[in-house]
Amino acid sequence: MKTTPGIFRLSAQSKVVLAFTSVIALAGFVWPFFYVGNLHWIFVAAIAASALLLVSEVGIGSIDAKSIALLGVMSAFITLLRPLGAGAAGLEPIWFALIIAARVFGPSWGFLLGITSMTTSALLTGGVGPWLAYQVFAAGWIGLLAGSLPQKFAGKLIRGATEKVLLVVTGIFASFAFGILMDLQFWPWVMGSNTQLSYVPGGAISENLSRFITFHFASSMAWDIPRAILTSVLIVMTATPFLRALRRTYFRAAFLTPIEFKNVVQIKN
Amino acid sequence: MIRFNNVSLIYPHSLHTVFEDLSFTIDEGEMVLVIGATGSGKSSLLRLINGLVPHHTGGILAGDISVDGISTSLTKPGGLAHLIGIVGQNPAHGFVTDTVEEELVFGMEALNFAPDVMRKRVEEILDLLSLAHLRARSISTLSGGEQQRVAIGSALVMHPKVLVLDEPTSALDPIAAEEVLSILHRLVHDLGLTVVISEHKLERVIGFADRIIAISADGKTEIDIPEEILKKSPIAPPIVHLARALNLDSVGTSVREVRRMTTHLRDFTPLLSQPGSATGQTVVAIEKLSHFYGEKMALREVSLEFKSGEISAVMGRNGAGKSTLFKSIVGFHTSIGGQIRVLGTDPTELHGRKRLSTIGYIPQEPSDLLIHPSVAKECAASDRDNGLADGSTFAFLIRLTPTVNPEAHPRDLSEGQRLSLVLALILCSAPDVLIMDEPTRGLDYQAKSLLVDTLVSYSRNLGKCVLIATHDVELVAEVADRVVFLADGDVVADGATLDVLLSSPAFAPQVAKVMSPAPWLTVKDALRGIAEATGKDPQE
Repeated sequence: MKTTPGIFRLSAQSKVVLAFTSVIALAGFVWPFFYVGNLHWIFVAAIAASALLLVSEVGIGSIDAKSIALLGVMSAFITLLRPLGAGAAGLEPIWFALIIAARVFGPSWGFLLGITSMTTSALLTGGVGPWLAYQVFAAGWIGLLAGSLPQKFAGKLIRGATEKVLLVVTGIFASFAFGILMDLQFWPWVMGSNTQLSYVPGGAISENLSRFITFHFASSMAWDIPRAILTSVLIVMTATPFLRALRRTYFRAAFLTPIEFKNVVQIKN
Repeated sequence: MIRFNNVSLIYPHSLHTVFEDLSFTIDEGEMVLVIGATGSGKSSLLRLINGLVPHHTGGILAGDISVDGISTSLTKPGGLAHLIGIVGQNPAHGFVTDTVEEELVFGMEALNFAPDVMRKRVEEILDLLSLAHLRARSISTLSGGEQQRVAIGSALVMHPKVLVLDEPTSALDPIAAEEVLSILHRLVHDLGLTVVISEHKLERVIGFADRIIAISADGKTEIDIPEEILKKSPIAPPIVHLARALNLDSVGTSVREVRRMTTHLRDFTPLLSQPGSATGQTVVAIEKLSHFYGEKMALREVSLEFKSGEISAVMGRNGAGKSTLFKSIVGFHTSIGGQIRVLGTDPTELHGRKRLSTIGYIPQEPSDLLIHPSVAKECAASDRDNGLADGSTFAFLIRLTPTVNPEAHPRDLSEGQRLSLVLALILCSAPDVLIMDEPTRGLDYQAKSLLVDTLVSYSRNLGKCVLIATHDVELVAEVADRVVFLADGDVVADGATLDVLLSSPAFAPQVAKVMSPAPWLTVKDALRGIAEATGKDPQE
């Protein structure tokens, strides 16, 4: 039956592009463990190119007006939230909104929201630089993850307190994952070459990994923990009304509502 | 140009048809007005024209709709974008860019016009809608009427053959509304544009319409010339009610026509009935109140008193200081020169239940007061806040609108029901002074008469003080005992409604214009006045 367009979903081709660009991005995060030499700028370029490729591929597909409108509004909302925390000490009040919105509107849309909100908010906070492409992918993945959380468990819809717990766990995981990814991306460059925590080009993976973990714990845990706490607190505080408002929007947007053209309308009473 | 052929519509999740077997044809260069109570399907009808219904909303559509020969069932709304321009009620909701010029270009960018065509079209539209001096302005700094003109311009720039407007003037003051409507009138006559427009305030548009589509509550529709439709339609402007009440042979659509028809009723000297002045106790006392926004003076040494049992209307153009005065009385502003006392207390020092039972304030956008997800929960919260017995607020609400669904989301209610809900929330604590800022925006006649009844009974029966700020002279004529007229932060007139409204033709209600020089503001006044003066009931 004919219906109105549904919320945005990645086409099969877009999924292939997403997988491909994600592999490049992931390689961009972890290459220092495997390669001697400097690939930093190559990956900065490759990841930026991947992000562009992804956005254009997704744009070519049939994204409908309502999904675009929702994406625009939520990106603007997150963009306004970002300067409130400015990232100092990891206090970024944007993750809860990304996670909750992705939860309602699904993984494909959530992935796009991560990308668009991170890009637009970077313009507002002046955070445009080589790290932006990494941040964009990390945010996209978080949106994808939050959107992929199960809606049902044992045949029952996950709602209420259970859903809140699920979102808080996701928020904590995302806060730490984002911290680790961002550290990975600048750790090789930040410590100089002679400290206990420095990256050793060409060193054994286990050696570098333990140095990285030490570095991460020494430096950025101070950022990850506040980020996780803030995100959890905001999710606990806002999830109920926020989810309700977004689910109402989802309902009112009349996604996938049947359309019929007939000669005569018959009413069944 | 537009052809509806046996059209019926059912929305998803609904069991009844919005229209049944609707057939009509609108010719090129016609201006057609769509009237009907809130929720009767005016907006659905307008959105059927460009296919937003059912392509965006879902639903079952029977019959055939074609615009300029293109069937909307086969073409999506995007494919009709060059043919049909659509303008909504609140222009600010539709803007996508910051400046006037950018907004005009945006639609053409989306339709991939060549740059030289775009340049020419923008200039043309700037002249046509007299927007040239505003071209570089930021849209958010424009007045309501200017914004609505930009919205119409950005629809016209695509050279549509049909322009569809959903209540384009309901958020505007009378002068801005006039500005928008006269431009529409010119477009129809100069360019042969086909215009379909819906509007609640019929007195504004009726003179411009060639034909009217009237949708009644049971889904029946009629299309005819205004005179025919208005003979029996329950939705009609005051002059039509007057013509009907006086049993005139035909109804007129303009003051001039009705005035000519009623010459025989005016050749006597009317008795001047003096309205009694309010004798209640002083509820609000304002002494030499001044207020500044930065450098700008909003109120200049205003001294006023409002008494219990009195309904006062505060009028004046946008920016005259009406809202500032009200916010000061409510106690939102602290840094003020002068003094305000509400029942002897400084309003900024009222808190909690004492505040709820002293001042009731309904802002311009009543939904700002609605925060709960259902009508029942709003009412329950109000019972708790006011310390009332469970269910009292809801009982109050049911008296205002018996049909309201307690499980509905407050924002899904019709304008009239939403206003009733807000009134119930505020009035259940019986505040000594009720303050309403622009209460009739977007209300149909039915909701307006509900509001009038509620306000009158609240003031007369309970002896409370009621203040309303409004542009709506017809409302003022119906309810107010007293009018305070503000201009540039000064009180320029303050007196009985009759004196203030009759002293200026611009503010006289329609009935007064027809019956001038007789001092009658409403149909009821005129009937009583004629009966007193002639000794016969004019309805006989």
